[in-house]
Amino acid sequence: MADDEQDDQKEYRWETGYEKTWEAIKEDDDGLLDGAIAELIQKAKRKRQAEKTKQNRLGMMRHMFIVLDCSEAMSVPDLKPTRLLCTLKLLEIFIEEFFDQNPISQLGIIALKAKRAEKITELTGTSRVHLKALAGMANVSLTSEPSLQNGLDLALKTLKVVPSHASREIVIIMGSLTTCDPVDINLTIDELKKERIRCSVISLSAEIHICRYLTQQTMGTFGAVLDDSHYRDQLLSQVDPPPAAKTQDNSLIRMGFPHSKNEVEGKDEPLSMCMCHIENLEEPSGLSTTGHHCPQCNSKYCELPVECQCCGLTLVSAPHLARSYHHLFPVPNFEELPFESVPPAAPDCGSLRKCYACIKVLNGLTDKSVFKCGYCNQFFCIDCDIFIHETLHACVGCNTIPGVAGLVYQKQSGKTPSGDTQQQQQPKTMLPSTSKQRVEYNM
Amino acid sequence: MDAAEVAANKEAEASIDLLAIVLDTNPTQHIVRQNPQNLTQILEAVIAFGNAHLMQKAQNKLAVISCSHHATDFLYPLPGRQVELRPIDGQYEAFSLVEKTVKQQLGSILMNAPRLSSPCESLLAGSMSMALCYISRLQRNVAAGVKMHSRILVLTGSNECASQYMTYMNVFFTAQKLSIVIDACALDKTLSLLQQGCDITSGQFLKVTQLDGLLQYLLWVFMPSPQMRHKLVLPPPPKVDYRASCFCHRELIDIGYVCSVCLSVFCKYSPICTTCHTIFKTPGPLPIKPKKKKKTEKQM
Repeated sequence: MADDEQDDQKEYRWETGYEKTWEAIKEDDDGLLDGAIAELIQKAKRKRQAEKTKQNRLGMMRHMFIVLDCSEAMSVPDLKPTRLLCTLKLLEIFIEEFFDQNPISQLGIIALKAKRAEKITELTGTSRVHLKALAGMANVSLTSEPSLQNGLDLALKTLKVVPSHASREIVIIMGSLTTCDPVDINLTIDELKKERIRCSVISLSAEIHICRYLTQQTMGTFGAVLDDSHYRDQLLSQVDPPPAAKTQDNSLIRMGFPHSKNEVEGKDEPLSMCMCHIENLEEPSGLSTTGHHCPQCNSKYCELPVECQCCGLTLVSAPHLARSYHHLFPVPNFEELPFESVPPAAPDCGSLRKCYACIKVLNGLTDKSVFKCGYCNQFFCIDCDIFIHETLHACVGCNTIPGVAGLVYQKQSGKTPSGDTQQQQQPKTMLPSTSKQRVEYNM
Repeated sequence: MDAAEVAANKEAEASIDLLAIVLDTNPTQHIVRQNPQNLTQILEAVIAFGNAHLMQKAQNKLAVISCSHHATDFLYPLPGRQVELRPIDGQYEAFSLVEKTVKQQLGSILMNAPRLSSPCESLLAGSMSMALCYISRLQRNVAAGVKMHSRILVLTGSNECASQYMTYMNVFFTAQKLSIVIDACALDKTLSLLQQGCDITSGQFLKVTQLDGLLQYLLWVFMPSPQMRHKLVLPPPPKVDYRASCFCHRELIDIGYVCSVCLSVFCKYSPICTTCHTIFKTPGPLPIKPKKKKKTEKQM
C-alpha cells in the first residue's frame, strides 16, 4: 500500500480520496489474520515482479557511493535498536546482495559526520572491505548535523573520473531533516545533473523537499521508510541495475580472463605472493602456488574480480559475467489462472493436480490461483512462481521439455535469414538458455 | 571443547539431509547404446546408493529425478501414486518402496516415450532446476529450529551442450545462494560445465573410469555429507578453466573486449556489438592509448 505513493508523483496520500484500507483485510474462518496478511505479501511480491519490465539496456557496470548520515538524528530509536544500527545491519545484507547481483561493479561508502564528509571506503569491488568498515562504524559518535552538499561533492569528485560507460550512482541514507551546507546546494545538484550521476535518497524520517528535488533532477528514486521491513525493501530495490541512461557512453572494455592452469603439465607452479595482500599489513600475503595471473603483466591475485594494480586491466572470470546475464534475459511473467484450470494427472497417479516444478499436490483451498508459463504451458504453484522469477531466473518447464525450446528456436532462425551469421556466431558463453529468451533479445 | 563437540553432534543428528539424484536416462547416451544392460546396472547402483543414504539417519530424505530425451520426471517420491508393497522379510519398508517406485515409474516413462529419430541431448540443466524447486519447497516447509542440508547428485553419460549454458549458470548460482552442494558423477566424458558447478558450490566432481564399480564409487565419494568430506581423502579437485570464450570465434581468450551494455565478449575491437547492436563511442583511441603510454614510459 505504501508503494501507491510512487504511482502518482503529484498527489500525496493525504490529498487522495477516502480509502477503506481495513476492508482489504479479511479474517479467515478461525478469526485469524495470518492468511490475509500472507496474501497481501504475495500480492505485493507479484506486483513488484510484474513491474520488472524487460530491459535490454541496463547500466551493468555500476559505480555506487553510499552516503550515510552519521548525525545526531541517527541515534533516534524509532528503528530498533537505533537508526544507525538498523541501517548498518541492513547495509550488510545490501552489500552482499549488491555484489552477488552486480559482480563487476564497485561500491564506496561516505559518512556524513558533524557537517563534514568522510570517505569510509574507496570504490572497490570486494565486499569484505566494506563489511569490515561497517562493523567499525557501530561505535561512531553521533553528533551535530549532516551536510548533504559536502557528501555529494565528495562523491562527485570521485565519480567524475570514473569512465563514462559506467553507470554512476549515489544512494543517500538521510536520518536528519536538515542539512548544513557551505554554499547553495543547487549548484551541486546542477553539477550532478550535468555529470548524469543518478542520486537516490532513502529518508529515515520524512520526505524532505531538497532531497526529492535532487532525485527528480538526477533521475533517481526517493523513498521515506515506514518501518524496518519497508526500509529493507527500499534499500534492496537499489540492488537491481538501473536502466542505462540514454546518454551513457557505450564502449567495449578491455578485460582479462586469468586462468590458473599450469603451463607445464605435471609441474607445480612456483611459490609466489599475491598483489592484493602485498600492501595490507594486517593480513600479509602468504606464499602459495595457486592464484589468478593477469594475462598482461602476470601479477598474481587471489580473488576475482579485481583491477590489476600494475597494468589497470580488469580481471574477471566467465561466471562473473554470466551472473549478470539474468538481468538481460529475465523469465517472462506467468499468467495467473484459477486452480481448476490445471489438468489432473493420470488416474494411476491418483488424479491429483500437481505443480510441475516441485510436485506439490495442489488443492483448491490453499492454492486458489496457479501460474502458467505462456511458452511451455506448464502450471506452477505460487511459491515456485516467485522462486523461478526471483532466484532461479530460468523457467523449469521451458528448460526440461525439449520441444518447446527447439521448435521456437528453429522458427526463429528460419525467419531471419540475415541473422544466420549471428546464429552461427552464437557464443559458447552466452546462449540464452531458451529460445524464447533469445527471441525477445533479438527483438 | 567437549561440550561444543557434543552440541555439534546433536545438531547434526537433528538436521535433515536431503539428497536429490538427477539421473540421466537418455537412451542416446554412448554407454547405453554400447550396452543397454548398462542402464539397468546404473539404476541398481542408484537405488542401492539412495537406500544407503536413507539408512544413515531416520530423518534423511531422498528424491530421484530422471532426465530423459523427451521429459523430466520425478521417480521418487511420487505423491498420490499407489505402489503395491509386499513386505520382504528383514527389509525396511522404505527401501522396498524406493526400489518399487523408481523401477515402476522409470518403466512407464520409457514405455510411453516417443520413438527417437535422431540422437538428442539431455536437458540436464532443466532437470537440476526442477530439483532446486523441489529442494526449496522442502526447505520452506522445514519446522523452525531444524536444519536442512541439501545436495544434488548428477549422474550422466551424455555430453554437455553449450546451448544450456545460461540455465546451468543460473542453477549453479541459485544453488550457491541456497547453499546447496552440487556433486557430479560423469560416467563417460569429462564435463567442464558441471565441473564449474561443482567448483562454485564446493561439491565433488568424479569421472568414473570403470562402470562396474559404480556403486563403490558412489558410496566412497558421494555418500559422506559435505560437512564430513574435508576429513576424508577424496579425489583432488580438478583445475577448472574459467576463461571466457569469445562470441565471434568461440575461442578461449586471455584478454578480450566486453560490451558495456550486454557484457558480450569479443576477441577483437569492433565498432558495433553483434549481440545488442549497440554502437560504441570512441573507437580506436581507447585501446591504442595505453600502449603508447607504456612505450614512452619504457623509453624514459
